[in-house]
Amino acid sequence: MPYDLTVNGQPHSIDADPSTPLLWVLRDHLGMTGTKYGCGIAQCGACTVHLDGTPTRSCQVPLESAAGASVTTIEGLSPDSSHVLQQLWIEMNVPQCGYCQSGMLMAAAALLKNIPNPTDADIDAYVDNICRCGTYPRVRAAIHKAASGSKV
Amino acid sequence: MGTMPTISRRQFIISTAAFGGGMALGIVDADAAFLGQEPWAAGDGLAGAELNPWISIGADDIVTVRVATPEIGNGCMTQTPMLVAEELACDWNKIRAEFAPPSRDFRENGVYALGDAPTGYFSGRSTSPERMKLMLQMGASARERLKAAAAAEWKVPVAEIAAKDSVLTHTPSGRTLRYGEIAAKAATVALSAEPATKPQSEWTLLGKASPPKLNNPQIVNGSAIYGMDVRVPGMVYAALRQSPVHGGKIRSFDAAKAKTMPGVLAVVTVDPHEPRGLKDMKTGAPFGYADTVVRAAVAVIAEHYWQARKALDTVQVEWDDGAGAHWKTTGQMVDACVAALEKPADKVEKQSGDVKLIDKQDKIVEATYVTPFSDQAPMEPLNGTALVTADKLEVWHPAQQSKQAFWVAADEAGMHPSKVTFHQTFIGGAFGRRIFADDLRMVVAIAKKFPGRPVHTIWSREEQTRQGKYRPLVAAKLRAGLDKTGMPAVIVASQASKGHFPRLADNPYFLGCIPNVLVDARLLPIHVVTGAYRGPGYNSYAFMVETFIDECAHEAGMDPLEYRLKLLANWPDPGWAKVLREVADKSGWGKELPKGMGQGIAIANWGMNGKPEAGTTVGVVATVEVTKSGILKVHQLDAAFDCGRVVNRDAVLNLAQGGVIFGLNMALNEEVNVKDGRMVEGNFDQYPILRTGDTPQVNIHFGGLSGHDRFAELGEPPAGPVGPAIGNAIFRAIGKRIRSTPIRKHDLTWA
Repeated sequence: MPYDLTVNGQPHSIDADPSTPLLWVLRDHLGMTGTKYGCGIAQCGACTVHLDGTPTRSCQVPLESAAGASVTTIEGLSPDSSHVLQQLWIEMNVPQCGYCQSGMLMAAAALLKNIPNPTDADIDAYVDNICRCGTYPRVRAAIHKAASGSKV
Repeated sequence: MGTMPTISRRQFIISTAAFGGGMALGIVDADAAFLGQEPWAAGDGLAGAELNPWISIGADDIVTVRVATPEIGNGCMTQTPMLVAEELACDWNKIRAEFAPPSRDFRENGVYALGDAPTGYFSGRSTSPERMKLMLQMGASARERLKAAAAAEWKVPVAEIAAKDSVLTHTPSGRTLRYGEIAAKAATVALSAEPATKPQSEWTLLGKASPPKLNNPQIVNGSAIYGMDVRVPGMVYAALRQSPVHGGKIRSFDAAKAKTMPGVLAVVTVDPHEPRGLKDMKTGAPFGYADTVVRAAVAVIAEHYWQARKALDTVQVEWDDGAGAHWKTTGQMVDACVAALEKPADKVEKQSGDVKLIDKQDKIVEATYVTPFSDQAPMEPLNGTALVTADKLEVWHPAQQSKQAFWVAADEAGMHPSKVTFHQTFIGGAFGRRIFADDLRMVVAIAKKFPGRPVHTIWSREEQTRQGKYRPLVAAKLRAGLDKTGMPAVIVASQASKGHFPRLADNPYFLGCIPNVLVDARLLPIHVVTGAYRGPGYNSYAFMVETFIDECAHEAGMDPLEYRLKLLANWPDPGWAKVLREVADKSGWGKELPKGMGQGIAIANWGMNGKPEAGTTVGVVATVEVTKSGILKVHQLDAAFDCGRVVNRDAVLNLAQGGVIFGLNMALNEEVNVKDGRMVEGNFDQYPILRTGDTPQVNIHFGGLSGHDRFAELGEPPAGPVGPAIGNAIFRAIGKRIRSTPIRKHDLTWA
């Protein structure tokens, strides 16, 4: 039985094992590879998407639970990379290898939506993704800069 | 310089080099320097007029630069084009970078590894002296040929022509030609002699600009293609399970259920002992094949990844664990290493003076240190894609050494390299794990059992962590005789390890500052597979040596900073003292701190290879607090460094920040254990990595730079001194000496 899912505003009907994690539905069945596999146990956050607006680790959401939901992925964060965080990430050279940064950006975008002017503690709580390259100081600085409304 | 790329709103959808048209749409800024979401070259030839194998210029002025250093996160696919642009005098925004194809390298006798043969095609090291010189020369050569072609066109002397921002100007008349207008003609010009490159004082881009990395736009919208993201027509997925004891074999297995499950196409095994290899061909793999041995494995191939994963869980395997199962615990291995320290050495690595003089000294200081197996844990799990047919092998892979990977793939397929096409993807971190291409050998080993369709093999995080090529387990005993001034006159350093990099003696203390030195090594036959990990060997030895020097300073009753300065007084590399003074000054070294707080200092160098004024020296001061209940809080890490000079300040800063945080995690958290021969830790719940909220204030100081004429690398060096600086700080805070890592396992309670 196919499951209906809206991804970045587009409706999809997915015929897959109901236990398939949303992560693999996106990457494998829909070919949207911006959402990354890092651990599969909700530890690292590389697979973070917005599920009905809530930042969610997609490796832990089986397709059957996601049915009917609206999902936003990194590909849909903005149509043209114009989200203030995307622009600052580029300008401030936040990424190193970049693999975890889709998840970082999705977590950070959700934070700014809920708390437009976050404290360091807010950042620590919302953006607890793992980055092995150690980009944390720049992630923090870019979020603060975005919140301060500095123009890119 | 006014040509820094800006993020323009004028963006165009273009089709990139597509294979089968699948996921090949991307948003590209037409007004900025660019690197495709698929970094590999579309073909062997360069688009436009090819001036040399690295550079071509199109009629539209677009300069394509072939880069032989895969982008691993350090910006080398941006840095290399900057070297070219500096000498070519082209508009930075006209730059297009792509990865230099190993197939052409093979056909043209190693052309892309020229100038830096051992590390050619190696991720990073874009500023290694040989490579830097080569790319500057190629840029200068192309520029002079453009000028010569314009001079012929205008029938004027070359000396009257200036090149700037992709335009040639005949200075007396003011006539101009764009590079694109004359590139085809320039490609036919042969110079009678290679031009000299500019003196550094005339650089306008290098040392001045830190443009956003060329792949940033593809990272932030999720379009950058890492190995994990390769999607090719007809592709199927494989999930694998390897012998849980390294070196074990499959005795029997039952995959009956798996074969009936939806989407499952095949269940295959990989046997390390089955015949393989290019028998009659000398390898071109820079590191050979010894480190690429496959492990016994069973793999399920299915239409979708989750189908493969679920089916793999149902496969029952009876393993023949082999000799490794005799190691019941990690403790047994550590005990074996420590016991071996008392036995004769397998190897003497450094000997100078007369270490027997140790008995004539005023005081003996002795301590034993241990650093554990640790996993590189790059965020992108190991993976790769291979298509094997009767007469062709095509590979898509996140290799850290592409030439190595190319040859390993050919060897595993038994296919002449001329039949191999290798696509270098972006890399989601590596830190040494992806150097040898043992991962790609497994990918090809599985794919050749399912020929005709591209097979994309993915290691689960647990599989990757337990099937590592770990940082070696090292135990070392250091013994020093201090003379009546408290300074070491004799030092004896004995080590025993599983996995070995002969770098323990590679520091100034052992290379002249202490007159009588013996460094030796013993190698233990433990089954756990080891390999390269950020700063191989160095990351352990820096901890041991810098903790020991601190212990000597304490025994001598001297300040640890002053002690090091005194010890290094005659070392002919002023960078060391400069780094120490800078980091001490900036961190407020020596300030009064309450009980339970302390500062520790350490200094180390990666890349000196026995010589002063080589490699990168990093000094760290850690400021820590330990509660009475034993909770450690690292408040601040200050680091100063000397890599000679800097070509890209922001790239250096980014790598130094990241390297310090990597070194912090290594020291506090990392350890892979063994139980009954099997690796214990599987995922990040057991192998913790620091997060944003755990990261202390990290301050990187540029005042340690000596200005010496080298541009040494920044990736590995910070990983060394962070751990010992923290350990030394803990000692000064609470009086407990840290002689092993991870520090989280130590009881730090105090009263």
